[in-house]
Amino acid sequence: MSNYTEELDARGLNCPLPILRAKKALNVLASGDTLHIIATDPGSVKDFESFTRQTGSELLESQEISGEFSFVIKKS
Amino acid sequence: MSKRLNAIERRASIIAVAKILFADKGFHGVSVDEIARRLGVSPAVLYQHFESKQALYEAVIFEMADQRETYIEVVLNGPDDFASVLLRMSLVFADSVERDPDFLRMEMQSALENEATTQQLFINRWKDLTDYIEFSIRELKQYQAVNITDARLGGLIFKGMMREILYSKCVIHDPHYRAYSVKTLVGNINSRFLNAIGYVEPG
Repeated sequence: MSNYTEELDARGLNCPLPILRAKKALNVLASGDTLHIIATDPGSVKDFESFTRQTGSELLESQEISGEFSFVIKKS
Repeated sequence: MSKRLNAIERRASIIAVAKILFADKGFHGVSVDEIARRLGVSPAVLYQHFESKQALYEAVIFEMADQRETYIEVVLNGPDDFASVLLRMSLVFADSVERDPDFLRMEMQSALENEATTQQLFINRWKDLTDYIEFSIRELKQYQAVNITDARLGGLIFKGMMREILYSKCVIHDPHYRAYSVKTLVGNINSRFLNAIGYVEPG
């Protein structure tokens, strides 16, 4: 069972689509909820750092696993 | 008298001058001697920083690739609907080419010279924009919010219109379009593109 409130599969998408989808997914979550994102665009690492910094959300996790990038964002 | 530069400054100045020359004449049209002459140094100084002309060319290209647009602000600062995001993305892209048109010149030179590796880098820079259009059209089709059937063709049409604007305004400075700003033209093609694909905002 997943430990996250919501999952987002952004594999195969380039900037800004993963960010755009994450923003939409977070919009319907409550404060403290978590969003797990999987992406393949290497640029998404910097993008999600910048996104969480600018939106005040918390980037709980950012890691690369076998060529895929996994992020966990906690909504502020 | 020219100022003595440290290694980092020297490398940056070589890349800056090489970029202008490669943009004007292509990879094959420029020699190491010419770049050195333009910098006021000997070719040996260039070879201290880059082992070959190819290595210098790649450094120029990679520097341009590093300056790839970021669309974070585009996403954060405004509505999320397809038309609004596309307009903001294309304005960011156009602004970046307008500030540094050498990117477009080098892209054209690279195509003429059939440089496969560098061509891919140039294609990648357009890809964020064209992928956004393709994925969005596929999604919008599910809601009958567009009537174009081929999403990939949609991306290509938009790219063609954008490239022509940027080429006319930033590369050849066609006097016929002097009265129009890049921003005005980009706004205009956005509206026409949305009409052409039969876009209606999903309810």
